[in-house]
Amino acid sequence: MLLKYLGLTALFPTALALWYHEPVWPFLVAGAIASGVGLLLERMTTGAATRVGVREGFLVVSATMLLTAAFASLPYLFEGGDQLGSPIDAYLEGMSGFSTTGASVVTDYDALPRSLAMWRQFTQWLGGMGIIVLAIAVLPRLRVGGRQMMESELPGPEIAGLPERIRETARTLWTLYVALTALCAVSLASLGWLGIDDGMTEYEALAHAFSTVPTGGFSTKADSMESFSPETQWIVALFMLLGGVNFMLLYRAVVRRRPRLFVRDEEFRIYLVLALVASVALTIQIWGYGLASGEEVVLDGVFQAISVITTTGYATEDFALWPVLPLLTLFALMFVGGSAGSTTGSIKVVRHVLLGKVLRRELDQTVSPELVMPIRLNGSPVDERTLRAIAAFILLYVGFWVLGAAAIGIDSAIVGVDLGTLDVLAVSGSALGNGGPGFGITGPMASFAPLGDVSKVTMILLMWVGRLEIVPVVVLLTRSYWRL
Amino acid sequence: MVVDTEQARLRALAERFDVATQEADGASRHDLAAAGIRDADLVIACTSRDEVNLVAGMFARLEAPGATTVIRTSNVEYVDLWRSGQLDVDFVVCSELETANAISRIIGVPAARQTDVFAEGQVQIVEFEVQEGASRDVVDLPLRQASAPRDSKVAAIIRGAETLLPGGDDVIRPGDRIVVIGSPQAAKSWGALLSPGEAVVRDVVIFGAGRVGTAIARALVEQGIGVRVVEASRAQAVRLAEALPEARVYNATGFDPDFLERERIGKAQAAVFAMRDDAKNLYAASLAEVHGVPFTIGIAHEPVSVQAFDHAGIDVSVNPRAVTAEEIIRFAHDPRTKQIALLEGSRYEVLDVTTRDTSRYVGSKFRDMPIHGALIGAIVRNGTAIFPHGEDVLEAGDRVIVFTESADAARVVEAL
Repeated sequence: MLLKYLGLTALFPTALALWYHEPVWPFLVAGAIASGVGLLLERMTTGAATRVGVREGFLVVSATMLLTAAFASLPYLFEGGDQLGSPIDAYLEGMSGFSTTGASVVTDYDALPRSLAMWRQFTQWLGGMGIIVLAIAVLPRLRVGGRQMMESELPGPEIAGLPERIRETARTLWTLYVALTALCAVSLASLGWLGIDDGMTEYEALAHAFSTVPTGGFSTKADSMESFSPETQWIVALFMLLGGVNFMLLYRAVVRRRPRLFVRDEEFRIYLVLALVASVALTIQIWGYGLASGEEVVLDGVFQAISVITTTGYATEDFALWPVLPLLTLFALMFVGGSAGSTTGSIKVVRHVLLGKVLRRELDQTVSPELVMPIRLNGSPVDERTLRAIAAFILLYVGFWVLGAAAIGIDSAIVGVDLGTLDVLAVSGSALGNGGPGFGITGPMASFAPLGDVSKVTMILLMWVGRLEIVPVVVLLTRSYWRL
Repeated sequence: MVVDTEQARLRALAERFDVATQEADGASRHDLAAAGIRDADLVIACTSRDEVNLVAGMFARLEAPGATTVIRTSNVEYVDLWRSGQLDVDFVVCSELETANAISRIIGVPAARQTDVFAEGQVQIVEFEVQEGASRDVVDLPLRQASAPRDSKVAAIIRGAETLLPGGDDVIRPGDRIVVIGSPQAAKSWGALLSPGEAVVRDVVIFGAGRVGTAIARALVEQGIGVRVVEASRAQAVRLAEALPEARVYNATGFDPDFLERERIGKAQAAVFAMRDDAKNLYAASLAEVHGVPFTIGIAHEPVSVQAFDHAGIDVSVNPRAVTAEEIIRFAHDPRTKQIALLEGSRYEVLDVTTRDTSRYVGSKFRDMPIHGALIGAIVRNGTAIFPHGEDVLEAGDRVIVFTESADAARVVEAL
């Protein structure tokens, strides 16, 4: 079981805690519990010789996500104090970390022990690793939301004990992921070394690399990226953009030195175009409203657009204070997401592309009902079932978003939390899309701490469901799933 | 020697033609040897089954290494295989491909009834139908005074049952059919002269997405012509749409007037009817003409359908078997004959013949050459096509492209 090994990951913050002379025991105990539970589960399941196939896969994936988030929350529970000590807060922080969402209930960052702050960043990085496997191996096999598009590259019906080829692919992509993180950390650290950005210590560089590459969005600072220099922000923007690219494509094009694949890949092209258009639009709005001055106009526009489109959730500016138009722009970007096969959340570009093509075909066929038009992606025809799955996914996505918003809205009204219409919708959309910050009092420089418990639980559920791309969880709720 | 597995077919053949027959299996090495394949100069495998043809071709190569082997296939993949040098036969004829090429040539030249290319595409022969609105520059006046396109020659004027090998005093009249030999450019100019108003073809509708229809669609798309395809079977329609993104594919029958109206099929410049059933092709073509399609091409799978199509007013009929036969017959000719084309069924032939040193015409000017039921339209000298004038001289080793009645073909080849 995964948990067994996950326990070992607690050793990293342990070492850090030793270094900074902070309490070590929360991590050791958490690691021990995780490994213990993992071993126990393994002992329990080895007896049962049931094959873990696609059907069991839904349950395994859903449960694993819940368990890992629980593991991540243990150190918060032990050492979080007032800020993270309550079970719901700790669990929200854990889920937010492992789902690379970046929504936080932390308000006073300076009060957090450095090892615990790093643990937050580290969970995002680990989450990113898990998501890569989820995205390239698990979800396609479960035929989630049209993910089977990639299936041709991944043959074999077994989920458990990923087949050799997938294990190899995962290892390769992890290497790429680690390399990208290292590159990001070194780039950021060198800014500190060169004296360009005094705030960027080695600690900060590593911490932010951990949450940039998996497009997570946790920061060690209350004001996110604002206090860092423009150079730092540009570099972070670049790595966020890279984090939103399909890792498989990144591997083939960069490591295998076939850069023409970038040009040929429809999703990548449209992803870049979208990021560019969003950046320009936001820059114009920031300039028009006079929300920033000088170089910052462009920087804020580009950074914020990329941050939201890749569902990272960093901020260089407290956009919660912005007027409605740029807010709506960010709001719309929340539903874009990066490429499939990346660590970004939300709907993802390729689904938008295919849905757009389906809509166009519908219109064409309204005029000429006899027209036969296969939908193509990168030149090859896409299966009709895939298209149907994508349409269903998007409908489910919207449904969950609205339900989530309703739950949060009702709870806020009862508890008396000051959330506007757009804020409620944004909190729900942001959690479901694994983006991070919302608007209003839950903006990027604030936290989700003031929300009621029901809202927090809703957010946890949304993050969970959103990260697993909805379908595996919803499938568990159907009667036909449990029928023998 | 004709080999077939069915006795009845062989008997019918032997009664009609002067050929030897043997009942045997072409895919059996033993049977082929027993049929005396060792003495053959030319082996043609043209059964309806591709696999049998392939196997027969291979055995022929083993049993009679000296013989020229030709195999027929309906699968373009085998042609590609042969072109890439992986298939050890001398020639592969694909009826679908030949038919598609014939049709794309016809559509490329307005008003053409039939066309064929010689000398690696440098020389094109076209049979035109002269329409009422044809340009006065070439029609109704002696050819001597006509301003015909450069690099071309009128090889024949067909008026009803009569065929003229025209001299300078002859006149082209509306309603005639003429055979022109010339450069591809000249062929296009002739097309424009004979049917003014028919500009470049941009929109062709193909009915039927079977193997023939698909091959035609592909050939036209490669020429940059816009293609719409109508196919009744959903599976085949989807297959074509997936294979050929440039084509606009409809899942419909060609017999639905509402559909034809809604999709403005009548606005197409030409329509090709490539369904499997000749009767359906005929009916759909008539319907399309009613809806205003100006130029119809029908695929006639049965030879007898060609006449029915012609009678019903389909502008051009193409019989895939005839097209294939033409390709195959090339090899049955004198080795000096590089290529032949059959016109008007098989009433006329255009031959590509290399002249001998001993030919009595070598060294004489074209002006002085007598016309004995044959006309030289072009010569190929050192690989380049020349469209000769009166003062030019025929040299030994020239390849001449000559038009003649089929009955005279042997005599003409002998004389050159």
